Amino acid sequence: MAKQVEKRLWGRIIKWCRSLAGITVMATVVIALAATFNRGGYVLVNAIVTGGMLALVSMGLALTLGVLNIPMFAHGEYFMIGTVTAYFVYTPISEYIGAHPDSSMAVLGPLITIIAAMAAGAVAGMVSELLIFKQLRKRSRENWVMNSFLLTVGLSVVMINGHQMLFGADFKGITQYWAGAPVMIMDVFISRDRAMAFVLAAVVVTLFWFFMTYTRTGRAIRAVAQDETGALMVGIGLNGILMLTISLSCAMAAIAGAGLLFMYPSYPSVGLEPLYLAWFVVILSGLGNVLGAVMGSFMVALLKVLTVEYIGSGWDFVVPSALIILILIFKPSGIFGSEVRGVLDK
Amino acid sequence: MLLEVKNLNAGYGFLQILRDVSLTVDTGEYVCLVGPNGAGKSTTLKTIAGLVAPMSGQILFNGEPIGGLPGNKVAGKGISFVSEEMNLFVNMTVQENLAMGAYMIRDKKQQKNRLDFVFSLFPRLVERRSQLAGTMSGGERKMLAIARGLMANPKLLLVDEPSFGLAPLLTESVFESLDTLVKKERLTIMLVEQNVTKTLSVTDRGYVLENGRIELSGKSRDLACNDHVRKVFLGV
Repeated sequence: MAKQVEKRLWGRIIKWCRSLAGITVMATVVIALAATFNRGGYVLVNAIVTGGMLALVSMGLALTLGVLNIPMFAHGEYFMIGTVTAYFVYTPISEYIGAHPDSSMAVLGPLITIIAAMAAGAVAGMVSELLIFKQLRKRSRENWVMNSFLLTVGLSVVMINGHQMLFGADFKGITQYWAGAPVMIMDVFISRDRAMAFVLAAVVVTLFWFFMTYTRTGRAIRAVAQDETGALMVGIGLNGILMLTISLSCAMAAIAGAGLLFMYPSYPSVGLEPLYLAWFVVILSGLGNVLGAVMGSFMVALLKVLTVEYIGSGWDFVVPSALIILILIFKPSGIFGSEVRGVLDK
Repeated sequence: MLLEVKNLNAGYGFLQILRDVSLTVDTGEYVCLVGPNGAGKSTTLKTIAGLVAPMSGQILFNGEPIGGLPGNKVAGKGISFVSEEMNLFVNMTVQENLAMGAYMIRDKKQQKNRLDFVFSLFPRLVERRSQLAGTMSGGERKMLAIARGLMANPKLLLVDEPSFGLAPLLTESVFESLDTLVKKERLTIMLVEQNVTKTLSVTDRGYVLENGRIELSGKSRDLACNDHVRKVFLGV
């Protein structure tokens, strides 16, 4: 019996390795290791830290696309809301830490900042669902994908300019979250902030995965993504699930924004770069495929790091874009396949 | 009366399909709704299930108005709808699909009981419990759709075209399991079918829907002998 199970497991692993997803993942690992030997460990470390944060943004994007069928082009602005909230929450905290260096705020401060950013992102997501998407849904479901896409583009412009009007166009950054000597891993010095950013991303991704797989509400979200009518038929209330989904994905983008504030200071259009990268990820890994988006994030991050390393930093958007064009021509469903049947048909 | 539909008008957008449809279903009855293509049979079920909003008219379930409620609220009252296109969660396993069917039951023990019950009814699903719903054959998917509908422990089961796209042998087995549900479990079923002969031979009572209106109603046995029905559906 146990032997049979083992055999089936091996069969599945071998099958996965031969699939496109398996080949791509293995190729990514090989390339990452080769580059690490060639240029040093910082390549790998950079790719992993960037990938972790990118995963937070692109998972939210994939979720919005899969559950609400919205091609969200304002997702970067929730990242921006995260940065701006973190800036205004953390600045006074950092002054307080400066005055009392031994207080517990040195540890709690960054956590409070990130939780505040998360809350702000969630609220912003709920407000946009209530004021914009719900209204559109009530009025018309025809051409939903196109209409909601245009709405999100408009929303993005409004939010960027809203930031400029309220807080000005200058850079609002902080120097660091966590004071102290950098950590050394594989002969590379990583600042504590970077290490913590990765830990944060790993914790959020894990929690999110558990939520989607094992909880009743998480399963309901997946059910809505796969068949909205079917979800209604088994008694899942759509409004609540849609609201929860959009606030979750916006909260994750805001966490990413807050977590990276030490690298990307807050300014009106700070969200555009993560937005484009997240779209690369979502197209690469398959529209609406949330777990594929995590793998895809690391691939895109690695691609970006390698481009900067070997070709030059001006090219870091050219190479991923070229790859996206190739994928759209040859494998439009993405490497990991789409969990949602024909999002764009609806 | 378990279900009472009074002068129901419904349709999609400006297109009206149902005109003054009235029908009743009593507890424990096996009622069918037959009619030619495009008569509005599926629309009737969808309107009762809350997937299509009624334009006017009343739908009473256990004396309580449910017309215009969203689908999830209707499901919460105890009406399970098994649609023609099944609306399964194709990227979930059979077991997960069934668990979603019991979404409204919070008690773990009761969920287990329901699962055991549908597995005893459709032993085929036990073998397939860890298979993705989207990769199963048409007949198995139909079974899964009915089983998922039963997981919620409904008072009324609405079944739309169980024979659609199935081989005759599989159709037979689907009909058999519906029969078992009515006879052994005292479940109330409202069935919509294209296969008029078969349907009228198994159900208690029937309604004939044509052009969105109820043209005839009565005992299935009598309907099967009715001249109009014989001419239109049976071609004799």
